[in-house]
Amino acid sequence: MTLQIERVSKSFDGTSAVLEDTSLTVRDGEFLALLGPSGSGKTTLLNVVSGLTRPESGRLVLDGEDITDLSAGRRRFGMVFQSYALFRHMNVADNIAFGLRVMDRSERPSKAERRERVEELLAMIDMVGFGERYPAQLSGGQRQRVAMARALAIRPRLLLLDEPFSALDAKVRRELRDSVRDLQQRVGVTTILVTHDQAEAFGIADRVAIMREGSIEQIGTPDELRAHPASPFVESFLNAA
Amino acid sequence: MKAKHLLIALAVLFALVVIVLPVAVIFQRAFAEGFAVWLAAVSEPETRSAIVLTVVTALIVVPVNIVFGLCAAWAIARFKFPGRRALLVVIELPFAISPIVAGLCFLLVYGAYGPVGGALQPYGIQLMFNLAGIVLVSLFVTCPFVVREVLPVLSVSGEDEERAALTLGASGWQMFRLVTVPNITWALVYGAILATARAIGEFGAVSVVSGAIRGQTMTLPLQIELLYNDYNTTGAFAAATVLALLALVTLVLRGLIALTHPVRGAAQ
Ligand SMILES: Nc1ncnc2c1ncn2[C@@H]1O[C@H](COP(=O)(O)OP(=O)(O)OP(=O)(O)O)[C@@H](O)[C@H]1O
Ligand SMILES: [Mg+2]
Repeated sequence: MTLQIERVSKSFDGTSAVLEDTSLTVRDGEFLALLGPSGSGKTTLLNVVSGLTRPESGRLVLDGEDITDLSAGRRRFGMVFQSYALFRHMNVADNIAFGLRVMDRSERPSKAERRERVEELLAMIDMVGFGERYPAQLSGGQRQRVAMARALAIRPRLLLLDEPFSALDAKVRRELRDSVRDLQQRVGVTTILVTHDQAEAFGIADRVAIMREGSIEQIGTPDELRAHPASPFVESFLNAA
Repeated sequence: MKAKHLLIALAVLFALVVIVLPVAVIFQRAFAEGFAVWLAAVSEPETRSAIVLTVVTALIVVPVNIVFGLCAAWAIARFKFPGRRALLVVIELPFAISPIVAGLCFLLVYGAYGPVGGALQPYGIQLMFNLAGIVLVSLFVTCPFVVREVLPVLSVSGEDEERAALTLGASGWQMFRLVTVPNITWALVYGAILATARAIGEFGAVSVVSGAIRGQTMTLPLQIELLYNDYNTTGAFAAATVLALLALVTLVLRGLIALTHPVRGAAQ
């Protein structure tokens, strides 16, 4: 799936614009990292893409289809929140199956099919046998993986990750980074990862978009960015590594 | 150490004298002449009708309260709108206003000579001195309970979970039913219990609007006072035990929740 973000603007209750005519194209099947300092509007942009936030102007086009007015649910984008946002009163299996359970009757898989899909996903995240546990009984890394599985369960057209590793310690972070990349490759889903960690962005992504005060400063492969930083701002990011 | 023991002794003594003793005396007096007499007293037609009226009132008031409390708490926790803070203050107002004053206010507005009551009069609709009036003032005095319990739980938790549910394809209603409500169930139950206790026990506000028609618009607290003023102490104490028992049930439920859910509402 190719996503075109076209001249999107967003401000919060009359304050200065957080996003201003922001444009960005995410290519089919790629892993794109959105890198920028705190407050640069990364989460806001991701929320606009997910459909949780309405932009004041601009368009979103997914494979030629205008999805600007589509509700978050109808977009079928998998989202992993920074806080993971697991349903704490549901066990792991029910968390993962949630997106299947709330589908329209016509599309909804049967109970047996759902259970099968959950098992499949548990295997994929290396957590077979954890289905009965509750989120509170999991480590941070395990929670993150469950959040991943829950997002992948609906076979998302796009995967959106908002700082999925920021709550983890360095070692776990490294491991999970590899496993997330690995999962993404296997599923082949177009992915946007938001982060303010330069090493993470460059370590995981096919392309990195550098964001500054609501607009994209430069976009390119890690090598391109290193070779030709377009501005001192981008350069400062490279040096921070 | 000395200070600690003194404080504990004081607290226990206070609780005994001010709380336990009076309640115990009610039961002692009510059963002083035996169970049969007690049973006869609470089976008096007037007392029975008062019990029924009280229970019916609670059965109407508490569900309305739950629905309103949920809506209000959700609106306040999730949306920014002009007057949000004002709404919060207004909802808490019944705690600050003396019930008897509240009753008088209702009488002035909804009574036959009030703006609303007067307008409804030609259509033969009467809101005061009947069940409607009792329900209205009970709604007023119990209004804050559910909101106050649910709002803090809702504010600190669950917004991301709700958003996650939406991205996973849940409709607004599915999100509410499957994600929001389970997270606040215990706060909701707790608020409902407090509201029930208050609805059952309210005296002041109800006494103003009830009209005190014997056997018809007397709630249990009003009936107890009536019996007592009639020098029917046995009847008064018997009726009081029923009220105390209803209250005890809510108290036990409340204790159970506190026991099983140390942090009310926050499941983990
Ligand atoms: N709901 C909101 N109401 C008002 N202002 C907001 C809201 N959400 C974000 N903002 C503002 O928009 C700006 C960008 O926020 P955003 O969360 O998109 O930044 P970010 O790049 O994700 O930062 P971080 O790396 O700290 O997560 C910030 O100045 C923030 O204060
Ligand atoms: Mg952010």
